[in-house]
Amino acid sequence: MTENWHSVTLNIPFASEKHALIAKQVIEVDSELQFHVVKRTIEVDGHVLIAAFSTLTVRLARLAANAFLENVDLVVRTLERFGEEAENPPSS
Amino acid sequence: MPGKTRKTPLKDADRDYLALGLEGSANKLGAGIMKHSKDGAAIVLSNIRHTYITPPGEGFQPRDTALHHREWALKVINDCLTKAGVSMHEIDCICFTKGPGMGAPLQSVALIARTLSLLFSKPLVGVNHCVGHIEMGREITGAQNPVVLYVSGGNTQVIAYSRQCYRIFGETLDIAVGNCLDRFARIINLSNDPSPGYNIEQEAKKGNRLLSLPYATKGMDISLSGILSAAEAYTLDKRFRAQGATGDEDMITPQDLCFSLQETVFAMLVEITERAMAHIGSKEVLIVGGVGSNERLQQMMGVMAQERQARVFATDERFCIDNGIMIAQAGLLSYRMGYETPLAKTTCTQRFRTDEVHVAWRA
Repeated sequence: MTENWHSVTLNIPFASEKHALIAKQVIEVDSELQFHVVKRTIEVDGHVLIAAFSTLTVRLARLAANAFLENVDLVVRTLERFGEEAENPPSS
Repeated sequence: MPGKTRKTPLKDADRDYLALGLEGSANKLGAGIMKHSKDGAAIVLSNIRHTYITPPGEGFQPRDTALHHREWALKVINDCLTKAGVSMHEIDCICFTKGPGMGAPLQSVALIARTLSLLFSKPLVGVNHCVGHIEMGREITGAQNPVVLYVSGGNTQVIAYSRQCYRIFGETLDIAVGNCLDRFARIINLSNDPSPGYNIEQEAKKGNRLLSLPYATKGMDISLSGILSAAEAYTLDKRFRAQGATGDEDMITPQDLCFSLQETVFAMLVEITERAMAHIGSKEVLIVGGVGSNERLQQMMGVMAQERQARVFATDERFCIDNGIMIAQAGLLSYRMGYETPLAKTTCTQRFRTDEVHVAWRA
């Protein structure tokens, strides 16, 4: 049944494998709002985050990809703001 | 006071604890850092908030509110850490609002909380928004075992504590009282800056006429949507003067309507609060939530309390209106009792009843 579904794959490189894994773990917690008609897989290959969407309609493909990218953007900005501090714990 | 005094299960702090609290269930984005020190004190190290204010006549929609939070959260969190003079490494736990509230805004804050948790290897604590309000109110005012009136834009509940649960004695059957006031503010095109409720309170002080509005208490609950419709109907009345007093004899001004609306809904709130107090024999009332910063409501509650030889406790707008420090406070109490939210369970939920929380930190 899913042969006629639409698919979108997004490859997003991160600064490090650690950051890519953080993004995966943070975003995959929330399941898709319409999980019956939107199938999502999120994987990490090295420092690249790979998200694959398979959706019933083109509109759903746009919505799912868009929401995912907005979430990635938020995680990236958070990593950007706090990433360096996280690497440098205060020596006590 | 009802009941014997049981020993609190919350053991004394063996060291100083620090919690970061993140709140974003409605249009306020807040971050706060709470310290529980070894000597038993709870200290607010910082409490920063940014509010998404819409133009007059417009309410805030989930998508735009989420965008606002995503835009402002990192700056607010950064300012919060700077003001407290604390680094993320020193924080013991990251507390965030799990619910109730608006889906997209809640999720936006949760994403940031999770990222920080994984970056700095800190545990996450999901907090119920209502319990956050209650715990902050208790901490700031020192009320021992009050009947709590929780009134805000999203919630209207009368709550009393019993056996590790905040039990709902009465609530709104339809919309929250803050929602009723905010929507009326939109009808008469009041500014949303700093908040529609504040502007209604100021306009109400200039009202002269008490107009008849349906008084809708339903046992221990209240209904507000009918009152909103009735208030709106007055704005379509031919006696209504949208620009204010014109010197006509029989006229209705927006100020009169603000005044009448407040008097009616606040009287209803005082009544259902009094019912709960009579039910359990309480001598204390704690008002929390954004609408709790309304001085007329505090005044009316005070009149009822005095008649019952009871006391009213309220906090100022720093703690009444949604904020991050209340999430830090409730979250840290949970954390100290051994509660943590595993990453896979840090989803947000729009419906999260106050009585679903196991209040482990109280006897």
